[in-house]
Amino acid sequence: MEETPKIPIKRSIRIMLATILVFGILVATHLGEFWPFSVFPMFSQAGNPWTRAMAMDITDYPHDDVWTITIVDELPGEHFSMRAHNVDQIDYSNFVSKTRNWNPGRVMGLRNMLGEHHLQNRRVMIYKVRGELAYNDSVAVHATPMLLLDPDTTYFNPNLPQSFYFRD
Amino acid sequence: MEKFFTSLFKFDRDETTGEMLHFKLFELYMVYHIVWTVWYWGMYTLRISDVVLPLGIAQYIDITFMYGNSLPLINAALISVLVVLTWFRLTPVWTYMLAVVLMHIQYVARFSLGEISHGAHMTAMTLLCFALGLLFFRSSKESRRFIMGAVFFFVGLSYVSAGVSKLIGTGPFWIDGRHLWLWMGEKGIDILSREGAFGNNWLQELAWTSRGMATLILLSGLLIELGGFLFWFERFRPYIATLIIGMHLGIMATMNIRFDASIAQIIVIGYPWALLFNYMLINREAVRIKTEKLLQKVM
Repeated sequence: MEETPKIPIKRSIRIMLATILVFGILVATHLGEFWPFSVFPMFSQAGNPWTRAMAMDITDYPHDDVWTITIVDELPGEHFSMRAHNVDQIDYSNFVSKTRNWNPGRVMGLRNMLGEHHLQNRRVMIYKVRGELAYNDSVAVHATPMLLLDPDTTYFNPNLPQSFYFRD
Repeated sequence: MEKFFTSLFKFDRDETTGEMLHFKLFELYMVYHIVWTVWYWGMYTLRISDVVLPLGIAQYIDITFMYGNSLPLINAALISVLVVLTWFRLTPVWTYMLAVVLMHIQYVARFSLGEISHGAHMTAMTLLCFALGLLFFRSSKESRRFIMGAVFFFVGLSYVSAGVSKLIGTGPFWIDGRHLWLWMGEKGIDILSREGAFGNNWLQELAWTSRGMATLILLSGLLIELGGFLFWFERFRPYIATLIIGMHLGIMATMNIRFDASIAQIIVIGYPWALLFNYMLINREAVRIKTEKLLQKVM
């Protein structure tokens, strides 16, 4: 037998209020995110400088100025396209920009992400790219070379301080 | 409050064949997107070996048990079987809720590298609404009424929440066009790194050349998000759905961020498809009866 509308509406309100309560508690205690609950905070803080990551294949680049900070249009070598190597760009960028300590495990995690087989017979430079508002009317973007991946070895940029790689 | 929820759920209104058909097709879309998503996440998780940013339950348990083995694929298979069987109503009432929990584990295993993806949030909230509806209502009609009302509510709430977050995080000057320049530059680097090449489209060129135009783009986006609550009211739903779809297309054009799943779901639930189905069934009594018989088997 069907219930009268009064009963399901009261039950519905109770379920909705309970769900909203759980939603509120979880997002309030987890920085706005507890899947599938979210306050959708992306892009909520505007105007801050950002950091992303790129990679260049410098196998055939003959010069020794590979450790120089430069603008993106002047990066040496060929683009190491993430899509072409089946790597998620957002994952790659977050991995590089959010890693605070480049210990051997984290370096290996990066090499695994890019795929060791993609690093055979190649030299790939990992760049941290930073963008910020400049002179109030433009965006300045600079790329810092931070890791050089050889087939067997990973090199840190000798021009950068140790604190750049180990922040804790 | 009771008046608001009464108009949201519409328990007192008779259910048409078109509404039942729309409901089942909407559920089918949800099941399709869940199956696609959990396998996509599962395949990618096979390549992850480290946690950079633990999310959700991964903040309390070590999620690395999902790495270096086939568990992501086994979990994907389990979720797929559960949601498909539940679509046919061949399982106990709690199986959609179990799928929510398993999908949470799949999500936190996949997104442990620093990205906080929102690509499947709308589908997941929809799954949660289905889970609650099946768990707490014995009558299938009431269950359907609750599920649709709850989905409308949480979809509207998500957009309002995104708009309010911007006002809290930055304030009214969030709409300053230079902020859009910064994000376009950021996303441009992502595209350049992903594809190996990048060029601005006409909308991006327009935004780069005019701070006023960039401000107008952000202002319209913020107003549409704050107007998301209109999704709660049947008469405004098609209009706000159209504006939200336009906003997502605008974000895609300016910042190269795709919201395919959100656009698809807004199309599925934002327009009065039930009226169209009812219209199509007018004067087709035999088809209507056959449709109702088929629906009864999976309701």
